[in-house]
Amino acid sequence: MERSTQRNALVNLLALLVVGSAAFAVARSSNSLAGQVGTLFLGMGLLVAAVSWFQMRLEENERLEKLELEDLARTHAGSAMFESKDTEVFPAQRAREQFERLFVPIFTVLLCLLQSGGAYLFWRWLGKPTTVSELKQPTLALGLFGVFALVLFLLGRFSATYARLENNRLLRPSASYVLLNAFICGFVAAGIIAVRWQFPKADSLLAHVLCVLLALIALETLIALVLEIYRPRVKGKVERPLYESRLVGLLAQPEGLVTTAAQAVDYQFGFKVSETWFYRLFFERALKWLLLMQGAALLLSTCVVFIDAGEQALLERWGRPVEGRALLGAGAHLKLPWPIDRVYRFRTEQVQTLEVGVSGEASRETEPAMLWTKAHSRPDTKEEDFLVANREQVLLGATNPPAGKRTPPVSFITGSLPVEYQITNLLHWAYTNEDAPSLLHDVATREIVRYFASADMNELLSSGRLQASDTLVKRIQAAADERQMGVRILAVALQDLHPPVKVAKDYEEVVAATQTKLAKILAARADEIRTNNQAAKQATTITNEACAVRETTEARALAQAALFTNQIPAFEAAPAVYVERARMRTIIPATVNANKFVMLTTNTHDVYILDLQQHIRSELLTALNVTNKANPSGPQ
Amino acid sequence: MKRNLFTLSIGLLLLLIFCLLLFVFQVRTSEVAVVTTFGKPTRPITDAGPYYKWPWPIQKVYKFDQRIQNFEDRLTEGVTKDSFNLLTSVYVGWKIDDPAAFFPKFAGSLNPIAEAERKLQELLGNVKQAIVGNHALSDFVSTTDNATNLLWIEREMLGAIQSRISTNNWGLEVTFLGIKRLQLPESVSKTVFERMQAERKVLADTSKYEGDREAGTIRSEADRNAAIMLSQADGMALQIRGEGEAQAAESLRVFNQNPNLANFIFDLDALKDFLKDRSVLILNADTPPLDLLRGPSTNLLHP
Repeated sequence: MERSTQRNALVNLLALLVVGSAAFAVARSSNSLAGQVGTLFLGMGLLVAAVSWFQMRLEENERLEKLELEDLARTHAGSAMFESKDTEVFPAQRAREQFERLFVPIFTVLLCLLQSGGAYLFWRWLGKPTTVSELKQPTLALGLFGVFALVLFLLGRFSATYARLENNRLLRPSASYVLLNAFICGFVAAGIIAVRWQFPKADSLLAHVLCVLLALIALETLIALVLEIYRPRVKGKVERPLYESRLVGLLAQPEGLVTTAAQAVDYQFGFKVSETWFYRLFFERALKWLLLMQGAALLLSTCVVFIDAGEQALLERWGRPVEGRALLGAGAHLKLPWPIDRVYRFRTEQVQTLEVGVSGEASRETEPAMLWTKAHSRPDTKEEDFLVANREQVLLGATNPPAGKRTPPVSFITGSLPVEYQITNLLHWAYTNEDAPSLLHDVATREIVRYFASADMNELLSSGRLQASDTLVKRIQAAADERQMGVRILAVALQDLHPPVKVAKDYEEVVAATQTKLAKILAARADEIRTNNQAAKQATTITNEACAVRETTEARALAQAALFTNQIPAFEAAPAVYVERARMRTIIPATVNANKFVMLTTNTHDVYILDLQQHIRSELLTALNVTNKANPSGPQ
Repeated sequence: MKRNLFTLSIGLLLLLIFCLLLFVFQVRTSEVAVVTTFGKPTRPITDAGPYYKWPWPIQKVYKFDQRIQNFEDRLTEGVTKDSFNLLTSVYVGWKIDDPAAFFPKFAGSLNPIAEAERKLQELLGNVKQAIVGNHALSDFVSTTDNATNLLWIEREMLGAIQSRISTNNWGLEVTFLGIKRLQLPESVSKTVFERMQAERKVLADTSKYEGDREAGTIRSEADRNAAIMLSQADGMALQIRGEGEAQAAESLRVFNQNPNLANFIFDLDALKDFLKDRSVLILNADTPPLDLLRGPSTNLLHP
């Protein structure tokens, strides 16, 4: 193996390293999705170039070793040592064989995992809504990717030609990757141009295509690994590197399609299938017919169009709507081949929704409850505040300070308002306005802004929602009809309307205060009922007691009068006895429970009966002229 | 020979396709086109269909979308007649009405439509600020006019921009204009939020203290009613007692038959009541029936 081949492989390796690093930096800084996915291809090329270069060096060492041994064998002819075929005598050969037997399959498996994992992860990454962002400094990125493409293309073409001329199988993989990466850089540059030319999805689309390509290469590598197990080994036949991708080679040099196919068949079967009569007769001769028929079938397939349910299509012939068939409904339709007749599909039956009041990707939170104190949109979107006239300020009689320090007499209301619509006249929808969905969004926003500017906020938040929704539907419909948009406005939903989150708590506190007010009034009502009833009860008691007293007084008076009438004859019969008897009958029972002290005088020593259980007041004893001899201060 | 015929047919077909691509172009219903010959606009096309042209570099076709384009300008800050800062953005609908006039003014840029919109935005910026400055904030936001003033403002803006476009002959026509956003600057928004909060506080406090007042009123009225009820009951009780007394007085005549006896009986009754609870009696021996304690059976002497 010539030194120049190794140098070429090393240049490929370094070029892929430098361009790969630079492309990664440019793609990241410019937000180019295709550029970032393309970097993985450069990385794979770098790995393949490194392994093939290392394998080249091993083969070169083996070749030198053989030359050296042959030289020694000639010098020491007949020596048994140089006739030995023991592998220990050929360490370079052994190293190369070990490398091909162990390292290459392991590396290929890892490469396959890298390719499939990269395709999967990049595909998922591209599917995230946050991934797509506006290109930064597109002109610079365009220029740099153009330079990368040019450098890699020149280098790749030279390497590929050199590899083919010298029949150097180990230079082919890195040359193919260099060429493929040249094309990828070119496509990335073209994608940036397309984005600047009003095709904003071109970059994303190209990134997806590159992911699919990556997945196909991974599949091919996997198939190659499986087939490697069953491939017949022919002694002395130079083996193709396992990590070399035919798909990469084909994409890098599409002119070698037939050769690549023939080589693949030959390699897999272990003999020259491409030289058999079958291959020459059916494949090479029929290929052009097959391609022609394929082209014809492709052209014929453009003569039939199938419109799905819920769809309508516009049929144009040389750019003009076809008279009588301008609109195609659901079903199969015949048409002239492309580019004479062209069909443009639209989903007309589908109820479509546009979102007013949310900046960013419109989406609904999956919160179980929608509260005023929490934003209704996702964190990456922002709800817009609409101006509404402030009727309350007038009602509250606020006085504004002089100009410059005044607060505008307006309030804010927030909400995302979904507007649902259907396309009813596709010709108007498609031909009157260049960007009908965007215009409808503008029209709907304008009508909503206009309505809110003259609406009362409290009504909007409470009883006026339904009426507001109906009015908005009518106004947006009228505006859309005026613009000949060909749509029917189905509904404007105001369920998300709420005060801005900053003041929502204060709105809730007003409601809470109203409830507190009601609670206080109800508590006072309860107190009122209790007080009134207690007073009524007390009044009734007083009145009833008075009635009882009256009845008692009357009855007692009558009874006493009746008793007295009967007492008179008794008195008159024996006045003294009666009086004494009456006195005794009264006093004795009345004094049963009274403490009684009887003062008796005798001509003998006085005898006192003392009740020590009850104190007698000293003044009482003094009045009776009794002195306490034992204890003058206390009673005896 | 057969093989040559096949190759020839394929070659002719490819040549035909190539010629078609070189000499024929299509203009869609939604498009207008301008054909230039050596860079000079020679043929404006407004109808859809296939057309012939000389191949590049002799003739070149520029196609433009003739449908109504719409764009929204940036949210820009202005001052109203009554010195309030107001942010407005409008959307504008326009279309190419004269491709021959449009082409030389905008076709030099990579994207003529975007370039035309950029120019329109520049014009619109001046017009919009001037008209915003002619109106009070209440013309934009008010509960009293049903937003009719807003419509007038839009018409003023549209008229102003249409007159400027027709003067400049840009080959385009502005067909409609609408105010899409009305906003306040962030610092002003902050004060509006504060005012909204203050208003809510006023309403909350109003409710709170109205509740206190109404509850107090209810309670005091209840107390007053209770007092009235009790005083009425007291009065009625006195009246009832008086009636009882009056009725009892009827029986006093019976006692007049023997006033001494009656008084004696009343004294007895009074004494009975008087001695009812916790009374202490100190009696001497002269009090009947204790006088019985004097006599021969005792050692007491009669006084």
